[in-house]
Amino acid sequence: MNAPERPESFERREPELPNALPRPAGEFEALKRAWKSPRGLSFITDVNNTYVGIWYVGTAFLFFILAGILALIMRAQLAVPESDLVGHDLYNQLFTMHGTVMMFLFAVPAVEAASVYLLPNMQAARDLPFPRLSAYAFWAYFVGGLVFFGTIFFGLAPNGGWFMYPPLTGTKYSPADNADWWLLGIGFIEISAIAGAIEIIVGVMKTRAVGMSLDKLPVYSWAMLVFAVMIVIGFPAIILGTLLLEMERAFDWPFFIAERGGDPLLWQHLFWFFGHPEVYIIFLPATGMVSMIVPAMAQTPLVGYRLIVLALIATGFLSFGLWVHHMFATGLPKMSLSFFSAASTAVAVPSGIQVFAWIATIASGRMKLTTPSLFVIGFLFIFTLGGLTGVMVAMAPFDWQAHDTYFVVAHLHYVLIGGMVFPLFAAFYYWIPVASKHALSERLGRWVFGLMFLGVNVTFLPMHITGLIGMPRRVYTYPVDMGWDALNLVSTIGSFMIAAGVAIFIYDLARKFRFASEDNAGNVWNAGTLEWLPNGQYATRSIPAVVSREPLWDQPNLSKDVEEGRYYLPGTATGGREALVTSPFDARPQYILQIPGAGWQPLLAAVFTAAFFLLLTVKLVLPSVVCGVIAIGCVIWWLWETDPGPTRPPADIGGGIVVPVYVTGPMNHSWWAMIVLMVVAGMVFTCMIFSYLFLWLVNPSAWPAQGFVPPHWIWAAIAAALYIASAILIDRASGNLRGEDRRSPRSVPVLIGIALVLVSAASAVDLAAQWRAGLSPSAHAYGAAVYALVSYQIFFVLTTLVMGLYTIARWLTGKLDSVRRTTFDNTMLFWYYTAAQGLVGIVVVHGFPRLTGGI
Amino acid sequence: MTALRTGQVLLMLAGLIAWALQFLLIYGATSTLCGREWADATFLGLGVVQASILIATVTALAATAAAFAWSLRGYRSAEARPVSAADRFMVQSAALVNGFSLIVILWQGIPAFILPACA
Amino acid sequence: MLSCALALASCSGVQSALDPAGGDALRIYWLAVIMTVGATLIFFAVTGLLLYAIFAPPERRAWLGGRNTIVYGGLAFPIVVLSMLLPYGLIVMRDTDVRMPGALPIEVVGEQYWWRVRYPGEDERPAFSTANEIVIPVGRPIAVSVTAADVIHSFWIPNFGGKIDMIPGRVNSLNFTAERPGIYRGVCAEFCGDQHARMAFDVVALEPSAFEAWRTNQAKPAPEPDLPQLVRGRELFRTGGCGSCHVVRGTEANGLFGPDLTHVGSRRTIGAGQFPNNVGTLAGWIANTQHIKPGVRMPSYGSFTGEDLRALAGYLESLK
Repeated sequence: MNAPERPESFERREPELPNALPRPAGEFEALKRAWKSPRGLSFITDVNNTYVGIWYVGTAFLFFILAGILALIMRAQLAVPESDLVGHDLYNQLFTMHGTVMMFLFAVPAVEAASVYLLPNMQAARDLPFPRLSAYAFWAYFVGGLVFFGTIFFGLAPNGGWFMYPPLTGTKYSPADNADWWLLGIGFIEISAIAGAIEIIVGVMKTRAVGMSLDKLPVYSWAMLVFAVMIVIGFPAIILGTLLLEMERAFDWPFFIAERGGDPLLWQHLFWFFGHPEVYIIFLPATGMVSMIVPAMAQTPLVGYRLIVLALIATGFLSFGLWVHHMFATGLPKMSLSFFSAASTAVAVPSGIQVFAWIATIASGRMKLTTPSLFVIGFLFIFTLGGLTGVMVAMAPFDWQAHDTYFVVAHLHYVLIGGMVFPLFAAFYYWIPVASKHALSERLGRWVFGLMFLGVNVTFLPMHITGLIGMPRRVYTYPVDMGWDALNLVSTIGSFMIAAGVAIFIYDLARKFRFASEDNAGNVWNAGTLEWLPNGQYATRSIPAVVSREPLWDQPNLSKDVEEGRYYLPGTATGGREALVTSPFDARPQYILQIPGAGWQPLLAAVFTAAFFLLLTVKLVLPSVVCGVIAIGCVIWWLWETDPGPTRPPADIGGGIVVPVYVTGPMNHSWWAMIVLMVVAGMVFTCMIFSYLFLWLVNPSAWPAQGFVPPHWIWAAIAAALYIASAILIDRASGNLRGEDRRSPRSVPVLIGIALVLVSAASAVDLAAQWRAGLSPSAHAYGAAVYALVSYQIFFVLTTLVMGLYTIARWLTGKLDSVRRTTFDNTMLFWYYTAAQGLVGIVVVHGFPRLTGGI
Repeated sequence: MTALRTGQVLLMLAGLIAWALQFLLIYGATSTLCGREWADATFLGLGVVQASILIATVTALAATAAAFAWSLRGYRSAEARPVSAADRFMVQSAALVNGFSLIVILWQGIPAFILPACA
Repeated sequence: MLSCALALASCSGVQSALDPAGGDALRIYWLAVIMTVGATLIFFAVTGLLLYAIFAPPERRAWLGGRNTIVYGGLAFPIVVLSMLLPYGLIVMRDTDVRMPGALPIEVVGEQYWWRVRYPGEDERPAFSTANEIVIPVGRPIAVSVTAADVIHSFWIPNFGGKIDMIPGRVNSLNFTAERPGIYRGVCAEFCGDQHARMAFDVVALEPSAFEAWRTNQAKPAPEPDLPQLVRGRELFRTGGCGSCHVVRGTEANGLFGPDLTHVGSRRTIGAGQFPNNVGTLAGWIANTQHIKPGVRMPSYGSFTGEDLRALAGYLESLK
């Protein structure tokens, strides 16, 4: 028998505690004061992850209920054949909204929301590194999501399916605003998801308990890290997709119109390059939750930690090689399909690893059959079945039959409800004692589980057969004599059983959930991880040093010592809110991060960003632009208070460790965030290049269109030279802005100013060259693709412009010097990126047509 | 991040990166060759599509096998010498990831033996 | 669980993947059966182990509580099973939907929300068009080439094999062979707008001689009406402007917008597989198109008197 693995360090003696008792008077009070929430209405301006996390989870759950109600209406319509309960128009809106809301407004936000709440607690961090960014992401999602959902009450909801395939969603076949609500509403909520992902990556890598090295990271943190990286890689594809389709709808740039060189399949590639990873983006955090719940319920460490980490990382990679399995029937060569068949087969293995790791863990301990356990068991049951039908549809010939039928409806609901909703309910039952005065009722919990579990199987098991005997998806009704009637009626009954279970859950929630931080229900499950430490709004009183993956089990006095302030940073060094930044591998303390507290800025910025997009949807361009400008103003106002500089000398956090309260360069958290942002931008750009090449491939004889003479190469050379020159000037400015003596030379704003002129000129030359050559963006997909690349670059140059002027303003007001230069560093990184992207764009736009002999 | 850490991360992900590149290459080659009807060309007696899949697969397998061997060696020496827990974790995970990747890369190449190039 | 599907396999259905009527559908059917049996066994094994891990006495289940469980159950077992399944699946893929020499070519265009069908000329047999119905000979390979005129549709006859998307700007193909005469039903499988739910077609598999007879008849122009009421119907068809959208070969009706009606009376159903074809349904369709199938391109012609409607429908019904 293999003993459950335990890190060797467990054998070692605990180190001396870093801080001695008694703690100085006023230390704890100062900590509490720093983290106190504003009173009254201003309460909503707090950015503490505890509050934002709860609001965020609550909003996501609200959308789960709303989208669930839409599903019940659909099931009622389908209960009998030829029913006229709801008409085709409403039904098409219902299924579009059900899918869209469940995916974009429930599933992704829910797992992101849960991590805003849980992640810092689990890593004993005081907060996420960018709390205002979380608040911004939440409010943008809250306002945008509710308005988006509201369209269903006015018959304005999108009705082209959650996958929005053009040409059906193009202007010609969907002239009304319904499709625009999807494109702008969802495009905007994706931005909020990306903001959250950046936060999570930096949070997992940099704000952890001392000594929580990568081998001791909770599996949930690993899952969230992979999740966030997947969002960063996957979401740009759909952002670009929505951008291109909206440009086609608004300006008639024919990316997807076959008559003018576009191709509807381009959308499908972009959509599913996001859409398939999306499934794992939802699933992985849920498995992370399960990997936390199972050890607590079985009272034994997780078996196979490394194998689970392998499974998470492998799933993260492989899920990007699956997208065409949603396109098996599109007529691509069999060889191409087979690659995706193979990868779809391979991705089953990591899931198998995780399932057996949980079984092994359960076997090695003693599973208590609590409500969280029941939901975990239900998850394993339902998800295993869904995974097996997943392997079936991975075989292309079988999928040719099953695709777009109720078989796939059954499969995807088994995978998503099994793989995400059940773990989420397990998580609700499991973690509510951290956030509430009382745990939820175990007695009612059994009813909730029983009804949901039976309901899911009664609803979706028959659908496998309904699909194979010929019922296609997305039909608002069906003929009488097809043999589908009884199966559909059973499915409808099942769906109301699920609803009954969820209703009892809501009742229990209303009865038992009372928000609490200090006086929460406590460690009711005797779990071993740090979120069960005594907690306040400041998170833990002191930041513990951990020696294993289950510190509460292996360091018996940990709770008491942490609460008494005997571990690191038991107070506040700068008087404000702080987090301890640790090194990404070994989690050694690096510096104290001064984090901003409550403020109206993120809230207002989010509301006006939402207003910008929503007003744009209804074509109120001027008010929309005004809101956009106000939103940018709010962001600048918000940023102005950041980058505080070294407000005090390095501070002693205990145990003789003295760390600075401000650092710059690659150690800095915002440097990391900027790198991640650049990856996002680079992925959008890469997808754009892919689109360009894809359109070339479908237009063998017209790239560029016959008769068009591309601009002379001298234009390309001038633009390239200008980009390079501007980057060199920024590099010079950076060189001048060095030294421990806090100098702020006058050359810095001057160099930035000149560089701004050069970079603007570069993009202007780029645009003018194509325009003067007579290239039209709407005549042919070639022109559309070129102008898409050029406009994307112009957007970056405009952003650089704002950042450059902001940096100059910081210098003018004395907030920028050779030590306090985070603002400059961020601008510099972004500048290098913009210049590099501009150069690549020039090479493609000017070089590729020459290379392929189009000229 | 230090060069050592970067190296550890790259070693840990080597097999999966090799798979990603293999995938990109074989899918890109098939799409381009079939899309432009260049698929009738031959290379080393094989159809050009099959040949590119085989070359990509063999290269990716070789690279991953090397990474696997390298990480296994690290695995053993980590057992023998006291190193930091994070270091040991990285090298052990690398061995697992690279070993798994070998299978995936192999599977990814199978279609070349079964299917026609562009039908 | 999924083996319920097997129990139903013997059921016959006019639109069922579980009632294969051709080689391709049968090959996929066996793939489905094998995978279903395998998946069911694996499912019971995994849930059995899970329940054992929970409920067996600790000393009995201890062997299950280690890393080996993961290595054998989660890694080795799936790798072995999938290493067999993947090549099998690929071989089925290779052998399914293969273009055969001597295949009967048929061209189908998906439109919102009906099917334009064209049989190209072969040897001395002329080309002709029809709609919403595909008639095929048993035993001869069929090569359907598909595209779409407006949005994406998907062409699917479950009894004969998988589906193929109809995409504007692309021409895809689907190859199959019918091995059993009979009436089958095809359906649009890709959401294509308002009336996606009502976009089906009939598939009639005939013995080769019957097929040739059908084909010869379809290629002919429309029969001349031989009753006064039918003549009146033809006149109403002309004056009502029907010919600006519909073709009736042999008359001046030459509109290409809607379905070819030259032999509409010979088809089994109308409205893209919605209603059995008879005078009553034809009349109802003409008068209430937008009520029956809201969103289709054809307006309701509610201004006809009952008598006119009967004459018009009678004329159409006579176009055998």
